[in-house]
Amino acid sequence: MSSEQDQLKETNTEERFSFKKDESAAVKSEKGLTEEVVRLISEDKDEPEWMLERRLRALEHWKKMPMPTDWPGQPDLSELDVEEIVPYIRPDVDKREGADSWDDLPEDIQDTFEKLGIPEAERKALSGVGAQYESEVVYQNMQEQWEEKGVVFCNMDEAVQEHEDLVKEYFMTSCVPPSDNKFAALHGAVWSGGSFVYVPEDVTVEMPVQAYFRMNSEGMGQFEHTLIIAEPGSEVHYIEGCSAPKYGTHNLHSGGVEVFVKEDAHVQYSTVQNWSKNTFNLNTKRSIVEKGGRMEWVSGSMGSKATMLYPCTILKGRGASANNITIAFAGEGQNIDTGAKVYHNAPHTKSTIESKSISKDGGRTNYRGLVHISEGAEHSSTSVECDALMFDNESTSDTMPYMEIDESKVDVAHEATVGKIGDEDVFYLQSRGLDDDDAKQMIVSGFIEPITEELPIEYAVELNRLIELEMEGSLG
Amino acid sequence: MTATQVHETISEETVREISDELGEPDWLLETRLDALSALGELDMPDVIRTPGRDWTNLDALDYEGFVDPLNAAEEKDQVGPEDAEVLPISEAVSEREDLLKEHFGSVIDPQENYLTALSTALFSTGTLVYVPKNVDAEDVTIRTTQHSQSLFNYTLVVTEQSSSVTILERQDTGESVEGERYYSGIVEVAAGENSHVQYGSLQDLDEETYNYTLKRGDADDYATVNWVEGNLGSRLTKSSVETELNGEGSETKTVGAFFGHDDQHFDIAARVWHNTAHTTADLVTRGVLDDEARSVYEGVQDVGRDAWDTNSYQRENTLMLSDESEADASPKLIINNHDTEASHSATVGQIDEEDMFYMTSRGLDDESARNMLVEGFFVPVLEEVEVEELREDLQIRIEERLHE
Repeated sequence: MSSEQDQLKETNTEERFSFKKDESAAVKSEKGLTEEVVRLISEDKDEPEWMLERRLRALEHWKKMPMPTDWPGQPDLSELDVEEIVPYIRPDVDKREGADSWDDLPEDIQDTFEKLGIPEAERKALSGVGAQYESEVVYQNMQEQWEEKGVVFCNMDEAVQEHEDLVKEYFMTSCVPPSDNKFAALHGAVWSGGSFVYVPEDVTVEMPVQAYFRMNSEGMGQFEHTLIIAEPGSEVHYIEGCSAPKYGTHNLHSGGVEVFVKEDAHVQYSTVQNWSKNTFNLNTKRSIVEKGGRMEWVSGSMGSKATMLYPCTILKGRGASANNITIAFAGEGQNIDTGAKVYHNAPHTKSTIESKSISKDGGRTNYRGLVHISEGAEHSSTSVECDALMFDNESTSDTMPYMEIDESKVDVAHEATVGKIGDEDVFYLQSRGLDDDDAKQMIVSGFIEPITEELPIEYAVELNRLIELEMEGSLG
Repeated sequence: MTATQVHETISEETVREISDELGEPDWLLETRLDALSALGELDMPDVIRTPGRDWTNLDALDYEGFVDPLNAAEEKDQVGPEDAEVLPISEAVSEREDLLKEHFGSVIDPQENYLTALSTALFSTGTLVYVPKNVDAEDVTIRTTQHSQSLFNYTLVVTEQSSSVTILERQDTGESVEGERYYSGIVEVAAGENSHVQYGSLQDLDEETYNYTLKRGDADDYATVNWVEGNLGSRLTKSSVETELNGEGSETKTVGAFFGHDDQHFDIAARVWHNTAHTTADLVTRGVLDDEARSVYEGVQDVGRDAWDTNSYQRENTLMLSDESEADASPKLIINNHDTEASHSATVGQIDEEDMFYMTSRGLDDESARNMLVEGFFVPVLEEVEVEELREDLQIRIEERLHE
């Protein structure tokens, strides 16, 4: 890997075709993370010089920073070998109908879609097969409606070209700098795809902005970046579409999300993720909220081998607020380490964190949260509530909240409970004629209801169905 | 991270001298020497760490400056009822070597961390409390007044089957010694089957004193180990009160109270390990912070794989009286057995404005109202203190502090 040219040449060798699923890849990088790979990505996207420089700076941080290894009870990342990961693949854009075929999907994923009762055409879209085509249709239709109001919703790569000033100002500068953590640095170096959302002052986008179909359009792009800028008084609900199971040789997803909530603006960010169970899901999501603004995070974490995800909100302006609702479900072989971080840096700020977790068949769930109230953030209040439900004795559930309180005129409350699924409840439902499985299913549905009711109906249904499938053990 | 450079008087010779003075058997001297030679490799006790920050910075302490093991001086009351044995460590080494040999370092590994090893190598004072089978021993009092720059204190409590004991420990500082001081206390409790241990402690050291305390109990079948942990004094305290519920049906309850003012720093931990079936734990802590005082609270409820039918509860409440104070808290639940009922909660807040308004509208001035509310805040934990003498002591010291 002596030069960029060799690098490009290498991608044309026979060897790359040994990678089964990229037959239609137009450009595929080498495995591992090198300066050449980063330059290749940037060049392929025809990026301006400043973006390449940001990528290279991020790469330097990646090289310097240690892997997180000594957090108490953190997921084991030892099987994660970044040198074995292909950071970038661009599918052949002319083959929109499908970079892969439905039959290539692992059986459990096919099964999932089957059981979710999703029509085949849609299944293909959800699984990333033919997603590019589907997404363009959906996306174009919506864009017209919003364009009139000055709303921008486009691919992040496109945004770099067409909204350069905005991207230059906000992209990984003040919100998630690459120096933030090891995986933010990685993301900064090799990011690709994702969404750019810009909502002008006082505009309310009534319907949720969904990147559901688009998210997989980059095929193997697992470093998507989402940048949301909500100008003063605006309102938008963004739904991240990684609810489709991902598959393939890539086993690392390291996304980055930056949300700017300006004065009195309101952003809700919802996600239901269900990555395949060989995926390390290591994301950085953060929001900066100005005076009177409101940020809401709603997330359901179902899939992945290991997830480390703690959406973070910085309440920067007076009266800013944040709500977090998270649900984690860990089945066999899964370790879901998730929670929320909130920094109260201004007076009269408010936050609530509501976390629910379910562990089953040896799954591990962990709530890890940080609430920081800075000096001067008087009359701030926060409430954290964690509930864990455990199904069996192979599973584990930990709660590790951290509270740093520098200010006296505050109201801080944390509460957590853990319990097994109630025998009495099951007995009661059984005595009403339900079988054991249905009874447990009903209890779980009731347990997660506070989350599902925050989601648009189709996501709520999907979340419920996914949990049902997990409970049946049909996903293995 | 390697340990701090130790003072040159902390040498093998020093350790031998201390051991010789106590008339110790060889095995104990060996344990000391092993701890001494391990110092170089041992880390400081774990402290809570969040990105970019250690909640308590033990490495910054100047051990070279304040550890002076050969000049230990103290005044000690060690009293107890006749049917229990309450022995100074110098007597215990000859009269109860069997017990020491069996239990010393069995509950707390002398080489668990740098400070436990330092304590093991250098302890020069201590107490053995031994309660034989079926004996109820009330009113065991261990009062230690530190008269020197540093003092290393070791306490071992052994209760035989179906016995019970109430121990009241107090630490304070006597004659003034110039500059900073260091007090280190290790307490091991081996609670035999069906025995009942109540261990209350009131730490009221001088505010130039750095304090490291580690208390840990090992509860056998159906045993109960209850702790009362009152922290008022010292400049910096790192104190852990821990119970391993190793016996079926064993129980523990920890009641903690702290009141920090000026620039005091309290790093307080309450930990419990549920290692077997049918165990119960209840951890309750309340603290008040004034001026620039800072508290760090860590609570751990660890439910092991084999701990069926566990009940575990934890509550922590901090009241902040000043804008300059800081309260950090991390109550942790670690659950490996689903047949568990567990909860924890933590709150931080200031004095309720409505309560203040109510009190002042009844004719109280601001300060009296505030003091009354602070005293009221401690009531729920004081009510949990079963030892009357300790409860009164704590209450009086809280009142005194409010009027200082």
